[in-house]
Amino acid sequence: MNLRRIIVLLGKEFIHGPKNFMFIWAIVAPLAFTLVATLAFGTLFSDKPKLGIVDEGDSQLVVMAKDIDSITTREYQDVISLKQATRRGTVDMGIVLPQNFDDIVVKKETSTIEAYIWGESLAKDRIILPTTIANLTRELAGQEVPIEIVSVTLGDEASTPWSERLIPFLVLMGVFFTGLMLPSTSVIEEKQKKTFEAIVITPASITEIFIAKATMGIVLSVFMGIVILLLNQAFGASSLLLVGVLFLGAIMAVELGLICGALIKDITTLFTIWKSGGILLFGPAIVYMFPQIPEWIGNIFPTYYALQPVVELSMRSGSWSDISLNVFILIAIDIILVFFIMLAARRLMQRT
Amino acid sequence: MNFGVIRALVVKDFALFFRNRFYALITVLGIITYLVIYFVMPSSVDEELEIGLYAPVIPPFFELIQQEEGLKFHEYNSDQDLRQAIADRIHEAGVILPEDIMEQLASGQIPLVTLYFSTDAPDEIKDIVETMVKELAYLQTGQFLAINISAEILGPDLLGDQIPIRDRMRLMLVIMLIMFEMMGLASLISEEVEQDTIRALLVTPMSVRDLFTAKLLMGVSLAFIQGALFMAIVGGLNSQPSIILIALLLGSIMFTGSGFLIASLAKDMLTSMGWGITAILIYSIPAFGIMFPGTVTDWGRFIPTYYLTNIIHQASNINTGWSEIWVDLLILMVFNMLIVWGGIMALGRKFR
Repeated sequence: MNLRRIIVLLGKEFIHGPKNFMFIWAIVAPLAFTLVATLAFGTLFSDKPKLGIVDEGDSQLVVMAKDIDSITTREYQDVISLKQATRRGTVDMGIVLPQNFDDIVVKKETSTIEAYIWGESLAKDRIILPTTIANLTRELAGQEVPIEIVSVTLGDEASTPWSERLIPFLVLMGVFFTGLMLPSTSVIEEKQKKTFEAIVITPASITEIFIAKATMGIVLSVFMGIVILLLNQAFGASSLLLVGVLFLGAIMAVELGLICGALIKDITTLFTIWKSGGILLFGPAIVYMFPQIPEWIGNIFPTYYALQPVVELSMRSGSWSDISLNVFILIAIDIILVFFIMLAARRLMQRT
Repeated sequence: MNFGVIRALVVKDFALFFRNRFYALITVLGIITYLVIYFVMPSSVDEELEIGLYAPVIPPFFELIQQEEGLKFHEYNSDQDLRQAIADRIHEAGVILPEDIMEQLASGQIPLVTLYFSTDAPDEIKDIVETMVKELAYLQTGQFLAINISAEILGPDLLGDQIPIRDRMRLMLVIMLIMFEMMGLASLISEEVEQDTIRALLVTPMSVRDLFTAKLLMGVSLAFIQGALFMAIVGGLNSQPSIILIALLLGSIMFTGSGFLIASLAKDMLTSMGWGITAILIYSIPAFGIMFPGTVTDWGRFIPTYYLTNIIHQASNINTGWSEIWVDLLILMVFNMLIVWGGIMALGRKFR
């Protein structure tokens, strides 16, 4: 094995890689997905009832409703927009506040509020929203609460919001999409364009070619993992350990990519595997997303051993003792995969 | 048009597809994966806000509110039992009313009401329960409310008959399943163009029209059979099967036409994949809007798949009949004609 040749090959990968559509896609897709998911899923999975308001006057109730955390309030310019939004399900209930609404309330007169309810809204939302509006109206009227309330939280485990549950999926997406796709497409493309044959008749060995492709995959995969964690503000305190775990995860991704690249004859088949076999990669992320699924199911998937330490360090302030066992299993998987790469590489050489 | 040639081409394409055992196996695995995803998703919708209650004396308004849909109090015999239920996460919230609450309210005193929350309870639930209890107390003390709410339901009223998330997701799964065939077809054509087998075919008595008809038949039947099979297994054909099957057929034609367009744009397999993924992302937006209502605004109507998803959603989830969706079907057909015509023209020009 010649280090100089590996560096030359690696340089070739980095120079010619960015010209390849797949290279750009492997970086852009996880980032785009992260941004969309962060923006969208932050509120999509929210159980909060959604209230739409058209204020024909200048009511304080709108401001008060927007200040409440238990519901999501949106203001609309006119009744037509409000009705459209309600019909679409953008809001569960839309109300129209008449002019001088606040004066009517303060004078203890009665005002009729037109309301539109989305037909698919949940029964509980249909009771929560009118109750909240009634409560705000009483507050506006200056009525005093006839009871005193004390809240007590029981138990010691905290719940996980959706925005956090998605992070494992996003990290896996970043690390594995980049780590698996780059080396696999690179090998397949070289096979298809016959450049692979050209390289192997030079002094460069298949090991050196694979190391160069793996290095590029690992560097970009770790980079993507770090970027996604930073974008989600989930880098945690144990940065060095986290990067180390991402590195081991990236090795697994790249190894799988090289095996696929060596065994698969074309990109279509690779994408077909990605389409169907993706569940094997993303299984643990799905387990993290839905706490109802027993956690032991996650252990079945190899990617669990890359993901659990990342989740533990980045989101649960875990330490080495919380992840050590899984890290050792991950290292073992990485080593076992090396043997599979050797077998795949031997087969590739026989066919070249 | 030479039907013998078309038949021979379709048989050849199918034979090539299924001769590759791996390809065939993966296609089956793809359907199985989507089926697994569907069946692990919740099959019902939790419409009610369920709250634990310990009250030696239940105020009349607490009993009255239980007749409304959306809120249910589960009574417990002691404070201890309620605390245990909250700690065991049977309920997210519990309410303790003092024994003499009625006397205190009647005499103008302010009774102390204790609310218990599990650590799982999101902040919005805490606020909502507090608001509900306050409102019940207002009502119990007969305080004046300055508003009347006059409500109108917009869209089909699904109260008590909500669509489970897996049935909303079913739409996304079936669309994805048949959409991937678009990418497969585009890749197949790109491969034939790359390897010049297309030109070889065109020097035979086969015409370009025969070639397109054969590819169209192959693409449509592959996509349609998978989609129909999936929908049949997940119960998607239980209501309005004829509408859904026609929509799936039109969808398959649309994606096959899109496959032609992509193949005409792509200069090689990788570019074809890139365009394919981009098209899939755009085409899946309306299905995303069905999964998460209110997220896609009216601009979604410009995406051809909007009409496909709307028809399948309306027919399979809301049991809508021909009279309400014929316009969507018509628009979908027009889109289909444009896409298929555009795809054939663009690809035909490329062959020339």
